[in-house]
Amino acid sequence: MQSQENKPQNSLLAWIDARYPLVSTWNLHVGQYYAPKNFNFWYFFGSLALLVLVNQILTGVWLTMSFKPSAAEAFNSVEYIMRDVEWGWLIRYLHSTGASAFFIVIYLHMMRGLLYGSYKNPRELIWLIGMLLFLVLMAEAFMGYLLPWGQMSFWGAQVIISLFGAIPVIGPDLAVWIRGDFVISDATLNRFFALHVIALPLVLIILVFMHIVALHQVGSNNPDGVEIKKYKNDQGLPIDGIPFHPYYSVKDLFGTSVFLFFFAMVVFYMPEGGGYFLEKPNFEPANPLKTPDHIAPVWYFTPFYAVLRAVPDKLLGVVAMGAAIAVLFTLPWLDRCKVKSIRYRGASYKVLLAMLVVSFVVLGWLGTQPATPELTKLARIFTATYFLFFIILPFTSVSERTKPVPERVS
Amino acid sequence: MKRIFSILTLLIALPGVVLASGGSAIQLEKANNSLADQDSLQRGAVLFSNYCMACHSTKYMRYNRIARDIGWDNETAVSEMGKNVVKPVDNVMTRMMPGVGQQVLGKTPPDLSLMARLKGTDYIYSFLRGFELDEHTGEWDNKLLKGTSMPHVLENMQRHFEPEDYMQATRDIANYLEYVGEPAKLQRYDLGWKVLAFLLVLIILSYLLKKEYWRDVKH
Repeated sequence: MQSQENKPQNSLLAWIDARYPLVSTWNLHVGQYYAPKNFNFWYFFGSLALLVLVNQILTGVWLTMSFKPSAAEAFNSVEYIMRDVEWGWLIRYLHSTGASAFFIVIYLHMMRGLLYGSYKNPRELIWLIGMLLFLVLMAEAFMGYLLPWGQMSFWGAQVIISLFGAIPVIGPDLAVWIRGDFVISDATLNRFFALHVIALPLVLIILVFMHIVALHQVGSNNPDGVEIKKYKNDQGLPIDGIPFHPYYSVKDLFGTSVFLFFFAMVVFYMPEGGGYFLEKPNFEPANPLKTPDHIAPVWYFTPFYAVLRAVPDKLLGVVAMGAAIAVLFTLPWLDRCKVKSIRYRGASYKVLLAMLVVSFVVLGWLGTQPATPELTKLARIFTATYFLFFIILPFTSVSERTKPVPERVS
Repeated sequence: MKRIFSILTLLIALPGVVLASGGSAIQLEKANNSLADQDSLQRGAVLFSNYCMACHSTKYMRYNRIARDIGWDNETAVSEMGKNVVKPVDNVMTRMMPGVGQQVLGKTPPDLSLMARLKGTDYIYSFLRGFELDEHTGEWDNKLLKGTSMPHVLENMQRHFEPEDYMQATRDIANYLEYVGEPAKLQRYDLGWKVLAFLLVLIILSYLLKKEYWRDVKH
């Protein structure tokens, strides 16, 4: 006989539980998932990323009901949504603002990982899955940006896809294969639509699932970077842990409300985000015969775009841009310091991390600007300092002068 | 916390830095228009119909939507704007026959549905006011867009109106085109503060709820 407490009292629940592991799944991931009690501000962004994903999927489904994925009709159908579809403007702004919010939240989520060493043993796989998520998210955003078929949609895609053409031997054919045509055309728009609304969201959802399963296998890190599983009470539960529900579900409800307040401010009062969330040239339909004076990708791609432009050679530029993203995958092995949290790490890491953040932000700004000689010089300096973080880190992190790490969370 | 604030400050300050560094050569005049001013929108709509629609369209707008938003009934929109030859549900198309623009002006006049979003309301206002008579050739040109194909259609108005009235007329047209750029803007402003007020209450309630639950967490 099993103990009575673990059996559901409700007869419907018992019926389901005999056929599906509902109670045990709930307990494993929510009701009895023990998270460290000392999460701070930085720990809101994981659940917020999930919230934004749900927002993108729901608003996306409703957008597809009125959007026409063809070069002849796409631009018109977006304006149709903005004017003739009931609440279409709100659904569209929730989706377009959501795209930028997704990257804000994800960049802060990644920053949390850098601050508290969340990528370190035993959480390397969580970081790798997360990086894959970041990569797929970039593809998802890039393809979504083509769909409104404005000038910037068209020429932004033109610039980025032509980068594949820089690859030796197979490059030109590869670019044609991706576009399905010799230029960005109806065929490109149609296939980007398919990938944007079906293929990539599916991959995103599966990866998010794996990201959370991997997290719950090893347990959450925390701002002190100590393992709460080290000290357990007589029931075998971590002393410094609290069940995710209700403690973090109510805390995240508060975080969600604050986030939604700022999100709504943008949606209702500045949906163009100062020309960064919706770029002005995109209010003009795509015109293959008229190149805009200044092509800038959306803000969340600009740091990597600045790296691309900083390198004089096209192929090497593409390699540098790829490397700027790829090198993040290797972070768990580049950082060899045993101490996780920045609270107890040496000055060398703090200086390096500050350098990385400044480089990333400045590169992001440079990517929005026309490439003048002075700005290109600046972009080269900050590209160098961006990579310098990853080059120096393996050496300094071995012999870092760390502070003593507490046994339990403070 | 200090670090968070410094990052946030940087993020907020950045767009300002960007805008400051990208100043354009010609200073735009401020339109100082208001979408809340329905009389101005109505005057703008009539002016647009009388002076602009001979060449330009706002093809994404329908007469009945305009009527609903700027305080007309459908019949008024059809008579004031549509010269009684359109149906309320029709889109606001140009009266120019296809191909005529290319023939007479050398260029098909653009649709103006999204011009205010593409260029900004101040640009439209400054453009309308930017026509200057060239002393040497005796022809009109526009200081904002040199060599524009667009004739100075408001020439008579500029000659015979009081300067303030002329300024108001150009402002009304710019105001109308800002409205046409995004008709949902009025709705957006109206709904926004209600949503924010609701979220403010939700923030307070969820904070109190969190505090109540967390009372039994020992630190």
